[in-house]
Amino acid sequence: MRGLPILLQKEFREAWRSWKFLWIPLVFAILGMSDPLTNYYMMDILHAVGNLPEGFDIQLPEFVPADLLQASIGQFQMIGLLVLLASFIGSISKERANGTATLLYVRSISFSAYFISKFLVISAIGFVSAVAGFAASVYYTTVLYGNFEIGTLLACFVTYFIWLLLVIAVILMMSATFNTMIAATGAFIVIFIGQFLTILWDFLPWSLPSNGVLLIRDMMYMQDYWWSMFMTVMFTIISIAIGIVMMKKNTSMVKI
Amino acid sequence: MTIVLEVKGLTKQFADKVVVHPLEFTLKSNTSTALIGPNGAGKTTTLSMLTGLLKPTAGAIQIAKGDIGFLPQYPQFYPWLSALEFTEMAAKLSGLPTKTAKLEAQKTLEFVGLGDVLHKKIATFSGGMKQRLGISQAIVHKPKLLLLDEPVSALDPIGRREVMNVLKDLQQETTILYSTHILNDAEEMTDQLLFLRDGQLVEQGTLSEVRQRFDEPNYIVEFYSAKEAQLFASHFIGEVRGCSVYITIQDERPNMNELFECLNNNSFQVRKVERQTASLEEIFMKVVDRA
Repeated sequence: MRGLPILLQKEFREAWRSWKFLWIPLVFAILGMSDPLTNYYMMDILHAVGNLPEGFDIQLPEFVPADLLQASIGQFQMIGLLVLLASFIGSISKERANGTATLLYVRSISFSAYFISKFLVISAIGFVSAVAGFAASVYYTTVLYGNFEIGTLLACFVTYFIWLLLVIAVILMMSATFNTMIAATGAFIVIFIGQFLTILWDFLPWSLPSNGVLLIRDMMYMQDYWWSMFMTVMFTIISIAIGIVMMKKNTSMVKI
Repeated sequence: MTIVLEVKGLTKQFADKVVVHPLEFTLKSNTSTALIGPNGAGKTTTLSMLTGLLKPTAGAIQIAKGDIGFLPQYPQFYPWLSALEFTEMAAKLSGLPTKTAKLEAQKTLEFVGLGDVLHKKIATFSGGMKQRLGISQAIVHKPKLLLLDEPVSALDPIGRREVMNVLKDLQQETTILYSTHILNDAEEMTDQLLFLRDGQLVEQGTLSEVRQRFDEPNYIVEFYSAKEAQLFASHFIGEVRGCSVYITIQDERPNMNELFECLNNNSFQVRKVERQTASLEEIFMKVVDRA
């Protein structure tokens, strides 16, 4: 792990100077506030934009705070993850393809240090983004609908962040293994298509985001929860390990 | 002189195409060697294998203790770093302690002539500046062996001169192996030549050795009038061009005097007698053409 602090500094500078620490959390914040707001003002929005017939009336469902947080997490799961995917899928493959990695790879750097430095910095962005997204959602939900219980809310947040760590590990692993195009497709399949597996089983990593919400609802079967948590951590560690091995193996893919 | 690099049977094969045939050569310390050859001869592939970025299909590379420095043909940098930040990072990653890294980076950048843009972002750099930054990252850790891929090919004449001067200064303290197809540069700064063609080492040696091998002793005898030149050509076999006669003397040592005797005995008025040395470019063409 020689050189980890130096590589961390490099990755951090890159993320900071390309404004990633600002705009990705901003996207999550906007996603987080959109559901509580649009749902609360749904009637006003319908009246303002639609030529609704005289005497039109619909019954909107009564939401509890957990419903809105779940809707926000649904947004993070679609658009938020796509933003993460698009921003970071080239982290390793693009550096190889455009030749910037060449000047680093000729030095006897540690590939684990290089991979971990990328993972840590992107995870930090992921953390700030999750905080921003949850804060925005929870703030507007609290103002408009009602309070959360702080303990289960925190548990839900931590659960979601651990899921994000897996997403980031998969993105980096794909980037280390393939060129950018194939890596993007591969990561998309694993992260998004994999979610369909949750229809069959509750204990897979893809269930983790919804399991977090079930904690708030106090409807989680804890054995499944711990299983999905365990699987996620295992998958993350395996992804990181494969990523490091592939990054080293693909040294000769650098443009010289 | 110690041997810094020893290459034995180095081979690279991509699919069914052999790009580099078994190569054998050695580099001695503090010498500079030019790797010459037309495009596609395998120069970059050879250098890539020496850096360790590309795995050879077969063969052994032995590099004496001490890091290597490498400058690719088109070095790419992180545009959001400054020149100093990048060179300092390169120094640290090559194992320089944090305390000295910044100082060394600063010194190196001043040496390559980037002293006044230390804190400018690389994004704003011109091609020549990037090339010099590329050299600074390659030498900041004082490597024993410096590998440069076409260090000056992409530069304009001024940039080329500047970079050549930097390299000449470096010659004293490190072993340099550089590829080029600009032969003037090779002529100017080289102890050893390696000619590559189609991945094979077709010629090697010092500049004077190679020159001797390919030298055809051509002489130009210039007179004051074309008439006299033609008259001389009737005594001595040669080709008349204006006031000059171009002659080739095989086996110079015994046969040289014949020329002067002929000139003396017939009391020609000679303006000059010149022996032509084959330029590296002519040698290059001969090596490349020799199928």
